[in-house]
Amino acid sequence: MRAFSYHAPSTLSDAFAFLDARTRPLAGGTDLLTLMKADLVAPERLVNVKALLPRGIAAGTDGLTIGALTTLEEIEKDAAVAKRYAALAKAAAVAASPQLRNMATIGGNLLQRPRCWYFRNPRLDCWLKGGEHCPARDGENRLHAVFGPGPCHAVHPSDLAPALAAFDAQVLLRSPRGERALPLEIFFTLPSAGRRTENVLAPDELIVSLRLPPTPEGTKSVYLKAMDRKQWAFALVAVAAVLQLEGRRVVHAHIVLGGVATIPWRAASAERALVGGDLSAATLERAAAAALEEALPLAHNAYKLPLARALVRRALESLAP
Amino acid sequence: METVRLRVNRAERSITLEPRRTLLDALRTDLGLTGAKKACDMGNCGACTVHLEGKAVYACLVLAIDCAGREVTTIEGLENDALQRAFVEADAFQCGFCTPGQIMSLKALFNETPSPNEAQIMRALSGNLCRCGAYRNIVRAARIAARSPSAA
Amino acid sequence: MKRDAELGAVGKPHPRLEGPDKVSGRARYACDLRLPRQLYARVLRCPLPHARLSRIDTSRAEGLRAVHAVLSSANAPEVPWYDTSRLFDRELRFVGEEVAAVAAESEEIAEDALRLIAVDYEPLPVEEKAGKPDVRQRGDIAAGFREAQVVIEETYTTQTALHNCLEPHGCTAVWEGDALTLYESTQGIFAVREEIAAKLGLSEERVRVVTEHMGGGFGSKQIAWKHSVIAALLARQSGRAVQLVLERDAENLAVGNRNATRQHLRLGAKRDGTLTAIEVSARVEQGAYLAGGEASDVTGTYLTLYRCPNVRAEQIQVSTHRGPAAAFRAPGYAEANFALESAMDELARKLGMDPIELRLRNYAEVDQDQRKPYTSVDSLRKCYQQIRGHFQKSAKKYGIGFAAHDWAAGAGHPPAEARVEMANGGARLVIGAQDIGTGTRTALAQIAAEELKLPLEKIIVSIGDTRDAPYGPTSAGSSTLASLAPAVRAAAQAAKAGREGLGKRAPNPKHKSVRTCGAQCAEVEVDSETGEVTVLRIVAAHDCGRIVNPLLVDSQISGGVTQALGFALTEERIVDAASGVVLNANLEEYKLPTAGDVPQITHASLSLPDDEANAAGIKGVGEPPLIPTAAAIANAVFDATGIRVRELPISREKLIR
Repeated sequence: MRAFSYHAPSTLSDAFAFLDARTRPLAGGTDLLTLMKADLVAPERLVNVKALLPRGIAAGTDGLTIGALTTLEEIEKDAAVAKRYAALAKAAAVAASPQLRNMATIGGNLLQRPRCWYFRNPRLDCWLKGGEHCPARDGENRLHAVFGPGPCHAVHPSDLAPALAAFDAQVLLRSPRGERALPLEIFFTLPSAGRRTENVLAPDELIVSLRLPPTPEGTKSVYLKAMDRKQWAFALVAVAAVLQLEGRRVVHAHIVLGGVATIPWRAASAERALVGGDLSAATLERAAAAALEEALPLAHNAYKLPLARALVRRALESLAP
Repeated sequence: METVRLRVNRAERSITLEPRRTLLDALRTDLGLTGAKKACDMGNCGACTVHLEGKAVYACLVLAIDCAGREVTTIEGLENDALQRAFVEADAFQCGFCTPGQIMSLKALFNETPSPNEAQIMRALSGNLCRCGAYRNIVRAARIAARSPSAA
Repeated sequence: MKRDAELGAVGKPHPRLEGPDKVSGRARYACDLRLPRQLYARVLRCPLPHARLSRIDTSRAEGLRAVHAVLSSANAPEVPWYDTSRLFDRELRFVGEEVAAVAAESEEIAEDALRLIAVDYEPLPVEEKAGKPDVRQRGDIAAGFREAQVVIEETYTTQTALHNCLEPHGCTAVWEGDALTLYESTQGIFAVREEIAAKLGLSEERVRVVTEHMGGGFGSKQIAWKHSVIAALLARQSGRAVQLVLERDAENLAVGNRNATRQHLRLGAKRDGTLTAIEVSARVEQGAYLAGGEASDVTGTYLTLYRCPNVRAEQIQVSTHRGPAAAFRAPGYAEANFALESAMDELARKLGMDPIELRLRNYAEVDQDQRKPYTSVDSLRKCYQQIRGHFQKSAKKYGIGFAAHDWAAGAGHPPAEARVEMANGGARLVIGAQDIGTGTRTALAQIAAEELKLPLEKIIVSIGDTRDAPYGPTSAGSSTLASLAPAVRAAAQAAKAGREGLGKRAPNPKHKSVRTCGAQCAEVEVDSETGEVTVLRIVAAHDCGRIVNPLLVDSQISGGVTQALGFALTEERIVDAASGVVLNANLEEYKLPTAGDVPQITHASLSLPDDEANAAGIKGVGEPPLIPTAAAIANAVFDATGIRVRELPISREKLIR
């Protein structure tokens, strides 16, 4: 890593005073340090925010609040999360490895950059890094996106993000200008020419916490993940599904896919195929097929379509009473 | 350069280092504790696993300066541990390079759960690679240690 | 040797002697050396697949206060390297090739210094070049196919695999006057000593190589690599000890890989399963240079594994602008076995024949290449029998597959020497070889203890240092124990008799051939919707002659099978065609098997002392367990799904329906 100066201010406003284009906040550091070691980012200053932001999970009648510094391990082990937000607990449990779950925070997990091997290689140009075009589009793209118009074809690596999105989570952000709360679906926005990142966080903004609304009675959820080996890998395809059932009738469905797009990808057509109906085999097949309707596979990742369809169907099957 | 006071294996250690020095490099180079290994330096293999405040972490992804005042435990901090004896008995290594990391991952588990079951053992090992493929015996060693009377 | 039941130390599952050091962190690897005022080195590498270096300016790097030596083509001595190149060539032929090196007071500063080196590259065209076919044949291949009533003709491909030993290549180099010591991570301390002495123009006596422990080689550390000379030169230039350890991406670019192959194969057989003709044309990707070490012989097993009068096997080396290939656990044989044993499975199915029956029908009792009968002629049959009992499906939806194998080496050979010194009621065993993680240290101590009738605790082993040690072979080809054990026996016998305790390995039998062989079966479950393969069970039966230490042999079986899982299912080097860059030169996207990927592994153990082979009756077992696994899994996948995958690795996209 290149040299930098390290600061551990004791108040958040002091920390904000540091945040600028040449400074990065340090929380768990599990993505930041790998980006720095690969020379993809070279901050001149690091600001340790571990003592300055909330950590911990508060559960109440108005839902769940998760402090940005809460580790994945804490989320995995939390009783309230396991009880009412099972998909989130499962996502935390299958993310990464025990050591990483001990270090990584939920804030950092949402903000982590893609794993795309063109993006992560400092010697290769790519659109997301400010270049002209995406080398994955006509290159080695078996791991890349099957949804989205581009130009970036990397996939979002987070396991927690699809689960949080499926629970309609909101992210609370703070900057020197004040606080704002955004639904995760807005927080994650496809990169554009003017903003080559996967989310709308401002350079001097920090994630403070996540808010999940309460899950009504009859809510069930699941998170399924397909990997190239049995554990410790980013998703080839993942599915977070949250259903609210009254008997066998689907009152509410929220399905978000991971590993298939540059941001967590909502399977809205699949949801529409489900709501108001029952969970019959035919309905599930229809919903699973609908999830892949707008897919645009690349040369080497068409396998993700039947894989995703199977995972969506199985996720829904597992939630059927 | 900054001076950082760490607690490593229950001893106070004071090091002068650059902020960019990882805990792994500080252990191996500034403190002469070469048990934790640098195999990938990117958090992809587990050979650098140590305990930070009792939790298993990849030392290559932690800045030493960020450990000021926090308890660090390395393989050198274990002494005739039941796990170490079980590893020797079960032939739970070949080249031995991943071994300190494997033991530290299991030790973190055993500290929390003195008699872990198979699933817990497998889970604790899921962040440590072994290229020699000694996994079968590593799991066997963990089972032996889990059964031993002083399993901790 | 006595009947094995009467043996005291040999045949016992003794824990490794160095176990306590390995589990405590005390075991020192080359990268763990901390010599006084030691410097740390880093290597600058070419970013292009083929380029001419037109300008290099290291002055800014040299200007850093904490940098004490810089080397490049501008100032390094001309040291020839590979067949046609040199230490720092000005024509660079793969992404990752060495361009310059610095030694500094810390690794971080060495990396800073690399960033200050300015290099201009002129890109050159990137082309593949196929060499002339190397043909081996016997009989009349055309007649053989005319005779055939059934023919299988298919093409099989195997991928480039990367060793990814957990301990990177590297060394710590220190001079004392004009004498050089290298604390090296190597499989061959004497091989490195010889090569480095030659490269540096030193006599071998002035070079000492030490490998107390090393963190895996698998063939990638059989030869001397550039880092040893670079470290030595930096040490000489700076006047300080220099440690040069490669980073993980450099490991995956520049220090060896398993050659990718494309094997076009034809098998001809009579309807009763008798093979009448075997033909293969194998294209083998070599990378940019011939690195040396064990050449990858893809054709070998085609000539020997099955009895067949008419065989034609040709191998074509293809040079590419990629990192040089190097021996990787059973080089050539792992790749060929996948093709041949898949084809034999296809043949068995076409004939409606039991796969083990087909192998027995074509059993070779004679080495058809060397034209000598085998010692232990029935051992492969015994391996088949061991598997037979396990070769039945446990449930309908699972698949089961079988594969046999042989192996070129494993017999061991001279030269190999040992020295035994009696002292203080015990003995000191001095071995000029190295324990690369296989347990050599312990197994040889058991041999000595047996011969001397001493308890194992009374044997002190000195191993891994060329100083004051008799010549020891490189640990490759699964031949260390078979080479050294007889020498140790001889040395111990001499010492016991009051003579000088020197022992030398005698030659192998002249009129017989030693075969290392075995068989495996695999049971798998395939999820056809998601393409996920779960290997439930592997049963392995291998003939490694006399088993000296069952604990160590079990570990080799388990380890080889586990490594083979990666070759079969998850590992592949991915290169971006446009840029020539290796996209997964790391342990994140180059997927090694994890603990959760390992199936139940049953070692259907056979101790078959082969006393005709050598004085200890031992054969190798390091490589054999890796050889038949991929084919067994592929055959099991076919059994489960009806999908024949002829391309490794067997990834999901090849199975999703």
